[in-house]
Amino acid sequence: MATTRANQSENKTPRFSLLSKDQKEEIYLGVVKTLADTGADVHNEEARDVLKKHGCKVDGVRVYIPQEVVLKALDTVPPTTTLYNWEGKENCRIEIGRTYFGPGPTPPYFIDPETMERRKYLRKDASMVARVCDALPNIGYVDSLGSISDVTNGLADLYEHADQIQNTTKPLMSWAFNVENARDEHRIGIALAGGEQAFRDKPNFVHYGEPISPLVSDKHAIDKCVYCAKERIPQVYTPCAIGGATVPASHAGQIVVAMSEALVGVVVAQLLNPGTCVIIGGMQSILDMKHSTYAYGAPELSLMSAALTEMVNYIGLPMFSQSGCTDTKKLELQSGVEATMSVHAAMLTGPTFVHDNGYTESGKTGNIFQTVLDDEVIGMARVIQGGITVNEDTLAVEQIRNVGPGGHYLYEDHTLEHAKEHWRPSLMNRDSYEDWDTKGRPTMSDRIVKKTRDLIENYEGPSSRVPSDVKKDIDKILEEAEERVQGKSQLH
Amino acid sequence: MEEKLGSISQTLIEGKADELQKQVQEALDGGATPEDVMNQALVAGMDAVGQQWKAGDMFIPEVIRSAKAMSGAMDIIRPKLSESGGAGSGTFVIGTVLRDLHDIGKDLVAMMMEGAGFKVVNLGIDLDAEVFVDAVKEHKPDILGMSALLTTTMPQMGEVINALKEAGIRDQVKVMVGGAPVSEEYAEEIGADSYAPNAATAVDKAKELLQA
Repeated sequence: MATTRANQSENKTPRFSLLSKDQKEEIYLGVVKTLADTGADVHNEEARDVLKKHGCKVDGVRVYIPQEVVLKALDTVPPTTTLYNWEGKENCRIEIGRTYFGPGPTPPYFIDPETMERRKYLRKDASMVARVCDALPNIGYVDSLGSISDVTNGLADLYEHADQIQNTTKPLMSWAFNVENARDEHRIGIALAGGEQAFRDKPNFVHYGEPISPLVSDKHAIDKCVYCAKERIPQVYTPCAIGGATVPASHAGQIVVAMSEALVGVVVAQLLNPGTCVIIGGMQSILDMKHSTYAYGAPELSLMSAALTEMVNYIGLPMFSQSGCTDTKKLELQSGVEATMSVHAAMLTGPTFVHDNGYTESGKTGNIFQTVLDDEVIGMARVIQGGITVNEDTLAVEQIRNVGPGGHYLYEDHTLEHAKEHWRPSLMNRDSYEDWDTKGRPTMSDRIVKKTRDLIENYEGPSSRVPSDVKKDIDKILEEAEERVQGKSQLH
Repeated sequence: MEEKLGSISQTLIEGKADELQKQVQEALDGGATPEDVMNQALVAGMDAVGQQWKAGDMFIPEVIRSAKAMSGAMDIIRPKLSESGGAGSGTFVIGTVLRDLHDIGKDLVAMMMEGAGFKVVNLGIDLDAEVFVDAVKEHKPDILGMSALLTTTMPQMGEVINALKEAGIRDQVKVMVGGAPVSEEYAEEIGADSYAPNAATAVDKAKELLQA
């Protein structure tokens, strides 16, 4: 067999590149200078103390982080972190170059899967969303698409976490109102993992936290960041930056602010517990100045997310990005156009986590039908990202000779083998006109609704496998949280 | 015996040509009638292939494999059938019209029709209207199938139908048309009796025509 000399290491898969090396360096220097000169507000004493101890200037809540401290923190960021499901099986590696698409947290509203009308998000939706995401082949991790409205005020996060973690074996991302709830979510993770050490060895969820743009690590965000760092809970620490409002309207300026405020969390976490996993990035888009809405379908979302992905990876961190979201209110053409644009861009740039697949109405309404649509689009984008394999087998010169001019390839073994690699749609319609007509002329929306309802009705998910004693432990944690929260409200 | 015939169907669905020939021979040697092997094993198997194809559970390369295996099995069965009078689903003549060199779809229809038990005469490609007329006279088929892949050659199917009329034999044969640009409306327009959007449907449509 001949040895081929084509270069297989360069561009084996497509590489989408936005920023030049010089541009990256300029943005990075902007970040370093901002952290040192402008600084950031850090509303947690323990965090400020550790920053001060390592050479940061602290003035009240304002902290100025010199570049050597940033470099020291970046030095201990782990290159890879493994996640596990509650059954202890590896389900994710958080590292540059691996991408997982999923939904996002906390919209107040949800599209009711039966009536298709917007309503408040309910507890039953959380486990349903987890199950559907568990079933979708291109959804790589689970989140809620909403904030539960029908449980005790202040415990929406905890109920969501308790219900979702049992209904999926995919990676789970969970948010929390405050550090107390984050601790309870951790306790649920520990109960499922089988002990504190077991959780440290095999963490079974990622905590999601947000600082506030511009440059404020508020008490709840930084309290949780500190807690997760100390307990080695992998965490996302990312702002939702609104171009023109909370950050500069110029994209480079937006990236400088967004990176700076996220890096505060990285620095605090690494100084407290070197090697703990922190993922940064976050929602990047513009304020639509005409409608005063945060534009989730804007092309700028994809542009800035791509640039930020390159920047975050440039400094050696995993990126948390977004795609598959839309500003439209119901499932329609705009849903597909905006989602496809952002999914494809995200796929080409390769962030680690890509959230918001299933966000509609500018992030205000979660829509599981949108997630199902996104799943199909992600599958298509993945084909392009897969590139083309070029070798003796795929060149098929011998098959071409066998078939010759005027023949066909349908009977070749080679065809049978390689046709299996072709992407097969689950929603896109390729019926003949007659078949489509016979089926009642279903539109894309009809097919999405049918597939989604099928999954809701028929896909069980893994929750029945959770051992009953662990279920009891989880119920106890929820009961104690109820007592804690209600005790608090009596004090007021 | 029923089990054996079922196993032949399964081998056919899996497209294992050599294995199929062996099983068919064994069944005949074991006393099965060629009609039973044909109808209960092979035609039943191809019927399942057609159904699975239409349902999206089988894909063209697999269908072709089964059809080719069927063809190999027919080489054994056919001489025996003519001894005993044939399975008798009907005769089907098919060809691609003038100035059109496309044969994949047309051959697929031919194979599926053969799989459904039809005696199939595949005329080839780029055929003058006269060839179709002569073939109808010679083979006296129940159904004439025509295929065109190009919008530029599609009208030629109408020309063939006109030629059949001129020859006075239009009412002796049912005409079925197909090919990517062809539609139900177009088939009606040119006076064809039936249209099938794909090879699996062609079999159903052919059976309907024979019952009509």
